[in-house]
Amino acid sequence: MALHLPKYKKQTLEHALGKYMRPKFIYIPLISGGDTNITELVQKGDYVNKGSIVARRKGNFKIPLVSSVSGTVVGFEEHLCYTGETVKCIKIENDFKDSELNIKKNRKLSSISKKSFIELIKEKGIIGMGGAGFPTYAKYDSKRKINTLIVNAVECEPYITADQMLALSFSEEILEAIDAILEINEIEEAYIAVKKTNTSLIDELNNHIGTYPKIKLALLDDIYPMGWERMIVKRIMKEDYDRLPIELGVVINNISTIYAIYGALKYNRALTERTVTFAGDMMKVPQNVVVKIGTPVKEIIESIEGLKKAKNYVFVAGGPMMGQAVPSDDLIVTPNLNCVLVLKKEEETELPCIRCGKCVAGCPALLSPVLIKDNINSVEELRKLHPEKCIECGACSYICPSGIKVREYIRLAKEKIKEVK
Amino acid sequence: MKEALATGPFLRTENKTNNIMKHLLIALIPIILFAFYKNGVVPYINGKVTLYGMFLPLIFVFISMFVTFFTEYLYAILVKKETKNIKYHLKTKYSIFPGIFFAMIMPLNTPIWILIFGAIIASVVGKIIFGGLGNNIFNPALVGRLFVITIFAATIMNNGGYLNLYEVDTVSKATPLSNYAAIETIGSYETLVKPYGSLWSFFFGMIPGSLGETSAFLCILGFLYLVYKKALKWRIPVTYITTVFIMTYIIGVLNDVGLWFPLFQILSGGLFFGAIFMATDPVTSPTTPIAQDIYGIFLGILTVLFRFLTSAPEGVLTSILIMNLFVIILDRIGAKARFDLKKVVVLILIEFALVLGLSLYIAESKDEKVTVDPNFSIVSKENQGNKKVYIATQKGYSSTIKAKVIISGDKVESVEILEQADSFYSKVEESNYVSKFKNINDVSEIDTVSGATITSNAIKKLVNNVLIDYKG
Repeated sequence: MALHLPKYKKQTLEHALGKYMRPKFIYIPLISGGDTNITELVQKGDYVNKGSIVARRKGNFKIPLVSSVSGTVVGFEEHLCYTGETVKCIKIENDFKDSELNIKKNRKLSSISKKSFIELIKEKGIIGMGGAGFPTYAKYDSKRKINTLIVNAVECEPYITADQMLALSFSEEILEAIDAILEINEIEEAYIAVKKTNTSLIDELNNHIGTYPKIKLALLDDIYPMGWERMIVKRIMKEDYDRLPIELGVVINNISTIYAIYGALKYNRALTERTVTFAGDMMKVPQNVVVKIGTPVKEIIESIEGLKKAKNYVFVAGGPMMGQAVPSDDLIVTPNLNCVLVLKKEEETELPCIRCGKCVAGCPALLSPVLIKDNINSVEELRKLHPEKCIECGACSYICPSGIKVREYIRLAKEKIKEVK
Repeated sequence: MKEALATGPFLRTENKTNNIMKHLLIALIPIILFAFYKNGVVPYINGKVTLYGMFLPLIFVFISMFVTFFTEYLYAILVKKETKNIKYHLKTKYSIFPGIFFAMIMPLNTPIWILIFGAIIASVVGKIIFGGLGNNIFNPALVGRLFVITIFAATIMNNGGYLNLYEVDTVSKATPLSNYAAIETIGSYETLVKPYGSLWSFFFGMIPGSLGETSAFLCILGFLYLVYKKALKWRIPVTYITTVFIMTYIIGVLNDVGLWFPLFQILSGGLFFGAIFMATDPVTSPTTPIAQDIYGIFLGILTVLFRFLTSAPEGVLTSILIMNLFVIILDRIGAKARFDLKKVVVLILIEFALVLGLSLYIAESKDEKVTVDPNFSIVSKENQGNKKVYIATQKGYSSTIKAKVIISGDKVESVEILEQADSFYSKVEESNYVSKFKNINDVSEIDTVSGATITSNAIKKLVNNVLIDYKG
């Protein structure tokens, strides 16, 4: 059973793309792809340029974090990030000069080798901008031959229009970047995955796609969670993979990530800004805003006329389905933050499960959530139900007529089977 | 401790449990009104019942609904110390539904005190002892029915059983399936369908049966409405009814009867009501799609098995109760099968084998028109001129019936009951039943006596067996 969600996208699509590019301070959260195991490379008093590396991840993926302004490091502070927890941030005072080193003007996009391409997107701090924040270079840095590039412009969660707004404004740049990536990595073809119903984006891309024979549009059904990597790959390649899309020779990038790669290829620019959707019932003027990484969300909201009056707000980092509630508005923009929702706090009541089976029919990962909930105390039974396949899309909780937070049971089950291993 | 963060998703469906239950009620209302029309209004218009009798079907449903609600309400406020706010309980416990369903599957002539007793059983044994809504294994209404039918069958039948007073006068038959159970051959359109009108009477529900189970048409309307509103496990009724149709179609075809036979079978015995409303009770049916299919097919197999190979003619409700037991295990298989279809291949093959094998077996058994009836024996037979006098016995309801049957020129001349101790024999005597056999040579035309179906049927079988022996 396909799950159709209400969209709530109209308002932000109709509003012009806003900008908030001059924060007095930026705060670079020491987190990347959920990993906080990061070494800071600057000290208080250091001068940094825009795009300068200020920290680096320690683990397998030694991807750098960069400054999004030029200015002086004034210290370290704790702020909230998209996980809902506080993380240490590098506080940099903006000198408003935006001085950048080694900026190229109009470099030919495909002029570099595959090796330097991988090195470039790594050192420019480019990570997946669709939500998970996986280092982009790692997808290309594979021994396997890449046959297909899929550009994810599905954006299946309600409210979020950041990718679409960006793609509508920069379709030519995006197509140019895709073409260059194909050439550099010797990839045969690219698909831009768009929802069938997203006619404005389809039209915009069709206007320019003619000159790129290797790039095609893949029109996908408007169901949730169509933006899920596995679902897109399955629809387009008609094949499923075990762990990673590269098994099928597929690399899949978010369309905003492609635009960041464009900046790196053309101007040698780092990932320092992104488009974020600000929406939700409590937002006075819901819209998309281009902002610098490290900007406090509070400032941005104030710059777009702020919030409606309410006793209690719920701040959500991300979309309504997969987003994470954060305890206050002290949230900092990270490269993977695509949306900030401010909602009214509502009393939630849970009724007993009537075993209607909707969570089973609605699960895109083919789990049986109600049974996982039933067997939550038996690790042995849980293991047979494979909660680890859950992608936390929230379809089960959404569809539950009794208002039960089904996904939380599956998260718990995931932890339980991990503990006992 | 800091306040726990809200957990997503921050968007929830509008189709809440309250709505689902509202839709269910909407789907049931026409069926309740039809029960009122068929069992109340029609007899009243025809002068068979008083004004009370006219409203009896509605009173019946209302009392049952009130009892199940009130039983659970009392339990909640007295034992569980919950709020006394009646609206809260109505809106969160849905405890009127077992009552509605229970009333719908009981015979109209069930004495009110038995109805109340059954409704209390439905709530207490069917739901409360399992831990209330969402935890019960068996469909509460079916539990209630099982109890009262087992304990009070005789009382209910003596009180009039399934037929309303209009039906007693017009069709004067038992329900179609108990009528069918009385014959051993495949049956004919004339004996099975004609007495009730046509197959359209079956489709629209103008046939005897439990209070609210007869109208397939209204059940289908309810089904379509609930599917449209996404408030029903639609796979179960589809697989269930299809299975019964396919099996009875095979049985019919092999016995050279037409399409009317499978249609008669699926339109009888409350199959549509049971399949659409009882087998899909969300709490007591499987949650995984494949398990729902397997469940439906097994329900079909069991129903056919009950109808053709046991003396319990209805089959639907018993089948559902039995399958309720297997929901947990079917769901477990169904969950695995979502990742790997191979896990259910064996089960599905078993089902197909059962569907085919059982159909062929039943078709074959119906084909042998001459069967040795183990319940029948001939005490003596002697020729008296051109007549032949049989003394024979047949097992009745609670005793063995001994009768003298005189055959003259291929036809029955007279039947005289010599010995019997059946509980309901008085009914047979009152209706002057034995005189109906005079001058016939085919007992299938004889209607059994409502309220003493088994006894009257035994007499019919006895005469039939004598005729078989006579014809050699």
